[in-house]
Amino acid sequence: MSASKKTFTLLQLTQSIRRAVEASFDGRYWIIAEMNKLNLYPKSGHAYPELVEKQDGVIVAEMRANLWKNDYERINQNFIQAIQEPLKDGIKVLMNVSVGFDSKYGISLTIHEIDASYTLGDLEQEKQNSILALKKQGLFDLNRKKSLPLLPQRIAIISVANSKGYQDFTHVLDENAWKYKFFHMLFPSLLQGDKAVADLTLQLNRIRKVAHHFDAVVIVRGGGGDIGLACYNNVNLCKVIAEFPLPVLTGIGHRINESVADMVAFKNLITPTDLGNFFIQQFHNFSLPVQRAQERLADKSMRQLTETKTKLHANVLLFRSVVETLLVRNSSKIETLRVGLRTQTFQRMSSEKGTVQKLSAALAKDARTLLTAERVSVSKLKEELKNRTFVRLSKDEMAVNGLENSVRLLDPRNVLKRGFSITLVNGKAITDESEVITGEELTTLLYNGTIKSIKE
Amino acid sequence: MSETEVNYARAFEELQAIVTEIELGQITVDILSEKVKRAAELIAICKTKLSSTEEDVNKILKELEE
Repeated sequence: MSASKKTFTLLQLTQSIRRAVEASFDGRYWIIAEMNKLNLYPKSGHAYPELVEKQDGVIVAEMRANLWKNDYERINQNFIQAIQEPLKDGIKVLMNVSVGFDSKYGISLTIHEIDASYTLGDLEQEKQNSILALKKQGLFDLNRKKSLPLLPQRIAIISVANSKGYQDFTHVLDENAWKYKFFHMLFPSLLQGDKAVADLTLQLNRIRKVAHHFDAVVIVRGGGGDIGLACYNNVNLCKVIAEFPLPVLTGIGHRINESVADMVAFKNLITPTDLGNFFIQQFHNFSLPVQRAQERLADKSMRQLTETKTKLHANVLLFRSVVETLLVRNSSKIETLRVGLRTQTFQRMSSEKGTVQKLSAALAKDARTLLTAERVSVSKLKEELKNRTFVRLSKDEMAVNGLENSVRLLDPRNVLKRGFSITLVNGKAITDESEVITGEELTTLLYNGTIKSIKE
Repeated sequence: MSETEVNYARAFEELQAIVTEIELGQITVDILSEKVKRAAELIAICKTKLSSTEEDVNKILKELEE
């Protein structure tokens, strides 16, 4: 090591550099850069932004900057008021800086002011670029050309469970006075800030997987403030929405500028409540005609029945009057016939009565004549019968007397009287000697008395 | 579009047709009761759809995990 060489300490050198830098860059400068990273330290409240400049996507300049707590808070507030975006990563800024050098940290810029209107223009430019890109690819109107079913009943909701937006939307669906039934399912996602792009895209892709279970997708947000909604201008997110197989409806709830996502969505309404009412209205559009159909059917068919009944009644009246006329006319005819029939019947009856009386008189007379003749004939026959019977009886008496004599002559007592006898064995008359056994008792009947004997 | 979707949409369409027919007086009393009966069925289909859904969160979650 040579003693002749002049040496400095590091601190001496850095202090020298610091003097040189401060001498050369002694003012404040307006510069344009992209704030690649904000690098906010919440504890100290200071930010150390990483500034870059890109050309064709390649970083051609890079520097660290300091944004002290008080400046940060003031500038951030300005941003939020002016463009509804906080200071954040990835925005282009026009800022007022001073150049400094620190022995320990090297060269750096200190940011004193940031012009929000420049960033606003840049964001607007980005938004216009997104719109242009989508139109160029023919995607811009794609989702709007989809159609909702008659009843968009099954709804995939991208939101945050405990957010006011989610609660407002589901309240309208679930508590409707008409008892319309919705099916909805939450796909939770960040809804603002830079990380929302990736989160929203993720949930949309999940819904795509089960798209057949849903009729529509809604993105609802509310109650979280209107900061950090530039994500809805992101070309990639908007592309996913535009190309989504189901209608995507937005109720993101900001009042300033319509986002690109709102533009490409099937339907955009400011608040989640409005969006909920849109769905209710779809149900009304279906329900009212059904209701009206029911009423008109009842009314019309009742009227038609009444008309038919009235016509029928008129016909009945007409029929009755015609029939009555006919009846009156015919009943007088019948009366004439009735009278005629009666007269003729009387005449006929009295004529028949005369005939019957004549016949009856003749019949009585004839019967009497016949009876007299028959009576004479009967008494004649009676006389003749009497006579004939008497003659016959005399003849028979004589014959009976002759027979009586013959019978008397044949009486055994008359024979016995003449000296004959009858011999009996055992009460029976015998005519042959052989009929009697020796020693047998014989009884001999005489005209007067009997003799007992024994055969020897 | 699911089957029930088609059914209620068709029912809605058919119902509208019947109402038009009746309003134009194209229906005679003879077939009136038949038409009114059919319309009542269609109204029931539409009203049922308004007040019920068959989707099941668990089924969808299962499909998401696949």
